[in-house]
Amino acid sequence: MTNFFALARRELGVYFVSPMAYVILTALLALSGFGFTASMENFAEQRLPVDFRPTLSAIVAVVVMTSALVTMRLIAEEKSKGTIEIVLTAPVTETQFVLAKFAAAMTLLVYLNLLTVGFVLIIAQYGQVDWGAVACGYMGVLLVGAVLYSAGLFISSLCTSQVTAGMITFMLSFVLIVVGQVSPYLAAESWLYRVLGYFNLYGNFADFLKGVVDVGRLVFLLSMVIFSLFVTVRVVESRRWR
Amino acid sequence: MIEVRNLTKTYPGTLALCGISFRVEKGEVAGFLGPNGAGKSTTMRILTCFLAPTGGSASMAGFDVVRQSLEVRRRVGYLPESNPLYAEMRVEEYLHFRARIKGVAAGDRARRVGEVVERCGLAERRASIIGHLSKGYRQRVGLADAIVHNPEIVILDEPTQGLDPNQVREMRDVIRNLGKERTVFLSSHILSEVEKVCGRILIINRGKLVEQGTPEEISNRRMKTGRVRLDVRGDGRAIKEALEKTPGVARILWAAKSDMNSYLVEPRDGQDIRAEIFRRCAGSGWEVFELAYERLSLEELFTEVTVEAPAEAPPTALPVPPSAEGTAP
Repeated sequence: MTNFFALARRELGVYFVSPMAYVILTALLALSGFGFTASMENFAEQRLPVDFRPTLSAIVAVVVMTSALVTMRLIAEEKSKGTIEIVLTAPVTETQFVLAKFAAAMTLLVYLNLLTVGFVLIIAQYGQVDWGAVACGYMGVLLVGAVLYSAGLFISSLCTSQVTAGMITFMLSFVLIVVGQVSPYLAAESWLYRVLGYFNLYGNFADFLKGVVDVGRLVFLLSMVIFSLFVTVRVVESRRWR
Repeated sequence: MIEVRNLTKTYPGTLALCGISFRVEKGEVAGFLGPNGAGKSTTMRILTCFLAPTGGSASMAGFDVVRQSLEVRRRVGYLPESNPLYAEMRVEEYLHFRARIKGVAAGDRARRVGEVVERCGLAERRASIIGHLSKGYRQRVGLADAIVHNPEIVILDEPTQGLDPNQVREMRDVIRNLGKERTVFLSSHILSEVEKVCGRILIINRGKLVEQGTPEEISNRRMKTGRVRLDVRGDGRAIKEALEKTPGVARILWAAKSDMNSYLVEPRDGQDIRAEIFRRCAGSGWEVFELAYERLSLEELFTEVTVEAPAEAPPTALPVPPSAEGTAP
């Protein structure tokens, strides 16, 4: 456990000594702030009860767009700079190595989201907040982040160049969003529609926004995360045998 | 301490190591010598559990590198060839981090880090960002990292690569001191360095161990060419004729410089002709300045064992000194 925390702490530190964390932070606060202001004006004009969902949608959009930035360097950089050799010749297991990186990325995500809680507090000051729905929405953001970050970590473990890793991860997050735009054209009963429905990140997220937690989807998303992390560990281990 | 049995490693399409075996005893400083691409780094990466062998086995401090890799890694300090470091960290911060993941107890960390900082001459740079350090200081950080957890075995892959002569000397002193208390296994392609530091030398070429032993053993076994070198003052031609008449002499090579003559005398069937040569020179009143078996330098030995000789090269060809004035036959 000491190893895990030491590695995760170092990894988290890298985000903050490079411009990375600040770029993502700025993008997140700017876009979600804009979404928040615009939606509040809209609700006021139409005399509707305030709703936090549009802001959460803006937040998740930023999380999806920046997932490649968060994960691309994680393993690819260690490989290109050779530092993977000093980490894995220390008494550190591949599992600790991979999980520490994932934990650091997720901690960054939680930290970024905590900063947006301010918007909720503003609503709470002037109106009613459905705390359950908000919590559910944030859980959705974290789950979407976890899926993309674990997939990005896997891609990073396959690449030696972080730019390549970043581009592939960006393409993947793009595809996972586009899936949602394709599925309406398929017959609702077809198996493809149902399969794509699972992979439809935005669709899954929309459910969480409504405050609905579908156990099937939850299990599916979590197993995607676990599967990605598992294969990442295997990829890192495979260097020994190649 | 280090025991390697029949170690083999293949990369797709290439055979990097073909069945090397050796032992390094506790408290020894052993040098691993070979040209680039001979398999030095591959061997070291296997010993430090970064790579797994394709065949054979290796154990470090009694633990198998494949099956008990965590135990091995706790006991081994490693400085990789390219000395990769986390450039964004500060020296002391980095060493603390390394001590922590290497399992140094929390209470001992500050003391251990302080010790290695002093020992590796990093005291002035303890707060510097590693990325801003010069090559020499980075190498010290890498070395400090390798010994921060007080390992029984230290493996150094090309520790003096890219250092200037003063830094090389400092590094050599540090390694020699390390060798007093631990087993050290280092690699290099700089021969003089290995000779100065190591009690034992292993020479590897194309994935095969071609020679091992103490520098003296190797020199006795491989460096004697059997030829006798003679420096003598006197009439060159007369000396040459006298030498030719000496029983047991096969060939003579003569080079003269003013009144000093140098001869390389090749005996027949490896007999010792030194005494007879001396008697004849002394008898004729020629002053002998040097009379000894010609020895290969480590440099020449290295060439001899690592460069494959062309098949039809004449085996008895004598080297001609650049100042040769008269040669025979």
